Amino acid sequence: MIARDRFEEFKQRFGPLIKRADLPSDRRLFVYIDPSSVKHVCQHIFRELDARYVASIGCDDRPFSGKFLVVHNFAFDKDHLLCGVLAHLPPEKPEIDSITDFVPAASWAEREMRDLIGIEPVGHRYPKRLVLPDGWPDGNHPLRKDVPWNQVPEGFDETREFKFDEPPEGCTVVPFGPFHPTLDEPAHFRLYVEGEMVRGCEYRGFMVHRGIEKLAESVMSYNDIPVLAERICGICGCVHNVAYVQAVEEAAGLTPPPRAEYVRTIMLELERLHSHLLWVGLAGHIVGFDTLFMQSFRIREPIMWIAEKISGNRKTYALCVVGGVRWNITAELKTELRQVLDNLESEWSAVVSAVSGDKNVQSRTRGIGIADAALAKSLGLIGPVARAAGVDIDCRRDHPYAAYDRVEFKVITARDGDVWSRLIVRMQEVFESISIIRQCLEKMEDGPLQLEITDELPVGRIGVSSVEAPRGESHHFVITGENNRPRRWRVRAPTYQNLQGVPAMIKDQQIADMTISLGSIDPCFSCTDRLETIDLRSGAVKVWSQKELLQLTQGRKDTR
Amino acid sequence: MTVILSIAGCLANVMLVLLLAPLAQGILRKLTARIQSRQGPPLLQPYFDLLKLLGKEDIESGEFPPMQRFAAYLSLSTVLAIACFVPMGFSAPMNSAGDLILLIYLLTLSGVCTLLAGLAAGSTYSLLGISREMMTMVTLEPLFAIAIIVGAVHTGSLRLDTVLHGSVWVSNGLPLSGLVMLAVIGLSFQGFVQRVPFDISEAETELMEGPLMEYSGPKLALFKYAQMAKLILYSGLFVALFIPFGSAWVFPIGWLLFWAKVFVLVLSVTLIAATHARYRIDQAIRIFAGLVCVGFVALIFATYGY
Repeated sequence: MIARDRFEEFKQRFGPLIKRADLPSDRRLFVYIDPSSVKHVCQHIFRELDARYVASIGCDDRPFSGKFLVVHNFAFDKDHLLCGVLAHLPPEKPEIDSITDFVPAASWAEREMRDLIGIEPVGHRYPKRLVLPDGWPDGNHPLRKDVPWNQVPEGFDETREFKFDEPPEGCTVVPFGPFHPTLDEPAHFRLYVEGEMVRGCEYRGFMVHRGIEKLAESVMSYNDIPVLAERICGICGCVHNVAYVQAVEEAAGLTPPPRAEYVRTIMLELERLHSHLLWVGLAGHIVGFDTLFMQSFRIREPIMWIAEKISGNRKTYALCVVGGVRWNITAELKTELRQVLDNLESEWSAVVSAVSGDKNVQSRTRGIGIADAALAKSLGLIGPVARAAGVDIDCRRDHPYAAYDRVEFKVITARDGDVWSRLIVRMQEVFESISIIRQCLEKMEDGPLQLEITDELPVGRIGVSSVEAPRGESHHFVITGENNRPRRWRVRAPTYQNLQGVPAMIKDQQIADMTISLGSIDPCFSCTDRLETIDLRSGAVKVWSQKELLQLTQGRKDTR
Repeated sequence: MTVILSIAGCLANVMLVLLLAPLAQGILRKLTARIQSRQGPPLLQPYFDLLKLLGKEDIESGEFPPMQRFAAYLSLSTVLAIACFVPMGFSAPMNSAGDLILLIYLLTLSGVCTLLAGLAAGSTYSLLGISREMMTMVTLEPLFAIAIIVGAVHTGSLRLDTVLHGSVWVSNGLPLSGLVMLAVIGLSFQGFVQRVPFDISEAETELMEGPLMEYSGPKLALFKYAQMAKLILYSGLFVALFIPFGSAWVFPIGWLLFWAKVFVLVLSVTLIAATHARYRIDQAIRIFAGLVCVGFVALIFATYGY
């Protein structure tokens, strides 16, 4: 009765401000309030009730309700409750009070809302462009419903450059990225460096924003989107796949068959296994310990093979459809999977005991990239980053989904909040994942893999789903819609929050520690928009513009 | 006659270093791969790599291309010059042309080449790389100098052939200073040959090769060659200074023994590099500075004859 209790509390305190409330289940609460009091209510929830900030979502709801919609999602982890604060904004001039004064974690989400929907966060301290490219014209908001998914905006100014802040006095600027050997994808950190010390930084990312949400909301259908969702991330794709499907199922009030839930749990844990092993290897590589890198990858390989046997793919499993899963785990696969897990456990124990006692690795990771519990709270840090700081949160236990309520596992935490603690947390979580898969294989009951869905899914319902990805909580928000597709689908990947914590983690640290501090994070890369050619004979320099390059490539396609 | 012998000796040493350096690198890479459960490249791969780089287009880049070219040439020629002053199975060919002071200068010069290379590139990362290289040089280079001077103090001579023949052990009673210097150089050896955990100035994951980031093609080949040769030369110096036993035997035996010892050193360098993480610059400097202090204590012992 937690959701109802909370709601009664709200009603007593905010009475007339609450316009409407939905309690679809005991673990969800959506309160609609007046936009002018959003700040006040959020402050109460975040500060007094000590909820964790999850995500903010902006929607263009004009075609349906004639208004814009803003949602701030919070989590009461101990009460197993996800709570949304919703407000409708007038269509003419959508504005809402920024909550970043006391929830710094909402900074990016509000900037994104401003870029993509055009909802102005009034009082935001740093309302700089976040998602849209530098040359994108002002006033064009691609996620609005009246903007076609394939629009090429008028007045795109490719010469316009991003205005970076002035570096603090006495500091030189060291560009870290967009291309750097330890960044597998593009992200640009402008480091302000004094000697070898980092004094601050500015982040410019979103260079390969692919418009996945827009595409899903305008051309794809409910069962296409899981496959698209999976391609959000190259490492934890299955997480997005499951999270999206669960959000839709919740909105439509569907419950997948138990066997499907077990299969989802197994695949999610397999994904965690390979992701954690990959991360430990990469961390080793970053501090120059390549043997750890190679050994982790060798141990990881059988996990990829068994995933391929189950799903047909090493990485992109295409696991879920709304109401179930595609792949079965047969008796034969069960035996093989158990074998893989046994080998993994013994080999990984050897690695863990070797690394745990390694003074050399500790000297590079202890006291580095510290994010303490207070930072985790204010910036909404999640996953191993939060757990390494002693924040005991894990969506698998706190907001159980799939079959996690039927298995037993420990939530691993550490105290120091540094890179070493994160390493320990991840290394230990591998053993928990192995144990979870074993329990699932034991308990899995026979039965159908998919729910038979005969009716259209209901329209205008809200569903949210938090799935514990290897890196932290992956949060999906869905409003169901017409034409067999969602009206709004918002994805908040774990890195979205954790990356916001990086500037605080690297401040006043050696530049050499920058890479390992950033290590657990996955930024994304773009393609070059300019190319320079030089005529050797005359020495003349010609700079190719994006437009000319496009013509060059497209022209070639035509002649073929 | 001695002139001709010297020239022949120099040629022999230079050719040997040029021939064997890539092989040592090949062994290093193969062994590293085996430790990492990999197949690894063929033993001769470093030769092919060098040939390929040498055959590529020579591109001018960076802030100041002439200096970039000069640094690459100087780097390899310094290393080859050092080869003429190191006894490799027989006494150093240029024995009478120079003394220990010259050797120490040449060793420092090879570090200066990296600085020039970084300055020529002129990017932020290469400048960071050379500032690290400078810091390392200031604390690391004295160590080998101290070891050599300890030997010089023991023998009372600056002559190459007297000092570079286990001179650190020459003392009345227990060669305390020799033992201390063996430990000091042993601990810092990875730094001299620029391998993990002390390959800080070129750390790929931090500085993108640092001073070498603008190098490609033949110039990169020269730098890589010089680096490979350094591994052999420092191993040779280490053998000459600390484990010369047997080098004085008749030609093929002493000579073979010398190279066997060098390759054992290469193996140990590989093992350490494969099982360690890179130190941060400040941690490395702290280690080197500590070692320098210990080295000076050893030097004091040496002056008192221990």
